[in-house]
Amino acid sequence: MKFNTNLKNIVLVLVTTLVLSACSTAKKSGGSLSGDVYTGKETVKFLASGVPDRVFFATNKTSLTTASRETLRKQATFLRKNKNLNVTIEGHADERGTREYNLALGERRANAARDYLMTYGISGKRISVISYGKEKPVNPASSPLAWSQNRRSVTVKVN
Amino acid sequence: MILLTVLSLPFMTRKPIDLPPIVSVELIQISDQTNIPFAPKARKIIEEVKKEEERIVSEQAPPSAKAKEKPDRIPLPNDKEEKKQIVKKKQNPEEIKPQIRQSSEFEKKEIVDTNQIAALIDKAKEIEAVKEKNDKKLTQSNVKDSFATGLSLSEEDALRAQIFGCWSVPLGLPYDENLLVRIKLQLKKDGTVLKSEIIEHEKMNRPGQKFYKILAESALRAVRLCQPLKVPPTGYEKWKNIQLNFDPTEMLRG
Amino acid sequence: MKKYFIITILFLFKFETSYSLIEIDITRGNLDPLPIAVSPLHVDPKSEKNNETEIKELGSNISEIIEKNFRGTGLFNPIKKDAFVQRPDIAHLKPRFEDWRLIKAQALVTGKLLLVNGKLKVEFRLWDLTASKEMIALAFTTTPSNWRRVAHIISDKIYERLTGENGYFDTRIIYVAETGPKNQRVKRLAIMDQDGAKTKYLTLGNELVLTPRFNPANQLVTYLSYFRNLPRVYLLDIETGVQEVVGNFPGMTFAPRFSPDGKKIIMSFAKDGNSDIFTMDLETRVVEKITGHSSIDTSPSFSPDGKFICFNSDRSGLQQIYVMKSDGTGVKRITFGKGLYGTPVWSPRGDLIAFTKVHKGRFFIGVMRPDGTGERLLTENFYQEAPSWSPNGRVLVFYRETKSGPKGEGFSAKLWSIDITGYNERKISTETDASDPSWSSLLSK
Repeated sequence: MKFNTNLKNIVLVLVTTLVLSACSTAKKSGGSLSGDVYTGKETVKFLASGVPDRVFFATNKTSLTTASRETLRKQATFLRKNKNLNVTIEGHADERGTREYNLALGERRANAARDYLMTYGISGKRISVISYGKEKPVNPASSPLAWSQNRRSVTVKVN
Repeated sequence: MILLTVLSLPFMTRKPIDLPPIVSVELIQISDQTNIPFAPKARKIIEEVKKEEERIVSEQAPPSAKAKEKPDRIPLPNDKEEKKQIVKKKQNPEEIKPQIRQSSEFEKKEIVDTNQIAALIDKAKEIEAVKEKNDKKLTQSNVKDSFATGLSLSEEDALRAQIFGCWSVPLGLPYDENLLVRIKLQLKKDGTVLKSEIIEHEKMNRPGQKFYKILAESALRAVRLCQPLKVPPTGYEKWKNIQLNFDPTEMLRG
Repeated sequence: MKKYFIITILFLFKFETSYSLIEIDITRGNLDPLPIAVSPLHVDPKSEKNNETEIKELGSNISEIIEKNFRGTGLFNPIKKDAFVQRPDIAHLKPRFEDWRLIKAQALVTGKLLLVNGKLKVEFRLWDLTASKEMIALAFTTTPSNWRRVAHIISDKIYERLTGENGYFDTRIIYVAETGPKNQRVKRLAIMDQDGAKTKYLTLGNELVLTPRFNPANQLVTYLSYFRNLPRVYLLDIETGVQEVVGNFPGMTFAPRFSPDGKKIIMSFAKDGNSDIFTMDLETRVVEKITGHSSIDTSPSFSPDGKFICFNSDRSGLQQIYVMKSDGTGVKRITFGKGLYGTPVWSPRGDLIAFTKVHKGRFFIGVMRPDGTGERLLTENFYQEAPSWSPNGRVLVFYRETKSGPKGEGFSAKLWSIDITGYNERKISTETDASDPSWSSLLSK
């Protein structure tokens, strides 16, 4: 009896592992999505050569991915070089949520980027923050790709 | 044109349709007490009544026709003079009817065979339950007389279904388990309403009870629209006073 | 003598064996709309001429507005005018009830109007055709240009008389009028009568405006504006057009509403990635912090007695709806179903909270009791949100957006309404695309 239960358990564990591993590396169209986060280059602009102006987020999330942190490090370096430059970080959300919560989400995303820049020594006084919620999509389509491109924090030069 | 009318006149008189006698399935209330105060007289009248009963149940014609018949049936010589003056709506002849009523029920009991009784026993439980509920609410309670209360289940169902169809439930009513309007009706033999009375009438104009008023108005509208009510062709005494309890909570629960 | 003796005995017997009262429980009925005939109002020939309003047409115009109001409720069924049996003037004096009943009407509205000395006098009567009597009769006096409001007020009075509920016809809806391509939308504050008439634009569209809400006195509106690129909550006086920013917050304020007494604004304030709920007293200007959690707390809405607040928070991980006392204590989560919940708004009757729910990529508008039980989803769509209550708590207005193509084409936003029974879902016609609707309370009290 015990042998049978053990066998069942082993099979269950094996199947679960297979299923989970299959899910975790799901790729979407164009290969420019990792999980839910946009990794492509289409909508990205540059503050300077080699310095992307924006980072992207997963649905309902405000945490930074490894790629985002990489981008922000470049931005921090750029800001350190140009000490007189001030920026505004715009936080955005996709259209697949309620309007008011999206305003709060955008603000949190913008601050996630700002906080990270500050850990690299950039003064908070140089970085202001504004949230646009879902009001200013960069891609007006109603598709998962468009939505991922819209979930972003964009660093904008002020002066 | 006139010629045509004249020629067609004979064709316009219709012959009464001869329906084959239909035996209606009337569920009998079998009560615990077999209260038959008129038993001795009953047997005497049974023969005459049997024929009359059959005729009555076969015709599905409006009850008013039967009202005229009844006075003729009554064999008591004392009331012959009164009968001639009988207007359909007069109550007087009805006083005699209880006698006949009892005997006919008694007679029906005789013709019921044992197979039918088995089928009826289950129904009896149901009817008992219904009767018990009614008993609790009796305003003119007369426990001795359990044998003579109520409509049959099918008669009650027919009337209830009819009113269901006429009643437009005001959707704006709040879901309030206590929202209930009771209306007493005095009916004529043809099922039209002679008098209606809202129980707790004072509530109608009390401030804060506006939903009671709305519900009562919708109930009255339903009753008026439903005239003539589907009343049984016989037993006017049984159902001439009816109370309808309008309870919207089931509809409003949503 | 014997005859009489027997009769007496039998008479006594009758009372002894009197039949107990039959009681029948009527527990079901139909939900058919009440057939009602709205006769055009009779125009008194003594009426003066008026430049702005065509008096001759006014009688039918008023009755048409009443009909449209009734039809929109799903509770009344206005009968077609070609079936009408009496002329308006006679019907108003002495309706022939049997004739009106023949066309299957159960209620009849008649009236007359007179324009004299620059004033419009309107009188109406509601008749119960099954009881053959008058149910209510009222008269109004106003300026001729207010004739639409007279029609709405008459509709409210009749609605109240027949359902026991307050009406909702003499009300306005404020919303955001949208134009332009999806990624370059121009948004303006707009206000209109609840039937879509008399649209007026309140801002120019130079800056982004969002989520306008009425105060109970209908005089002021609070909303979010990106004036000078600083998103803040503002107050706008509809009559004077004067705008002022609410408070002096060092960060974005948004999601504003009024307290039921109109004396406070409740809103979210976002700073350093955290959004909390604050109130500000409009008179004393005192600001109070209501929530202090590190989560996003937004979309606050007062209960009609002012004692509780429902709001949206992601403190449990995802958007859910919470209820707390108006001082911020006693926070309780009330949504536990699958999916996300947002935009909670307390009914003016206090019995329900309406909300938006997102589940498996679909958006739902629903209602639930303030303790979270009895969740009922009323409608489902690709995208819809932000319900707002009619003042009698029976109808919700919300907005829907359509799916757009790869270049944003095919996108539109429109206002819709639905009864809390889930029936009677209807699109509200607006001059432009529209979103973020908010329903006023009754204009006349």
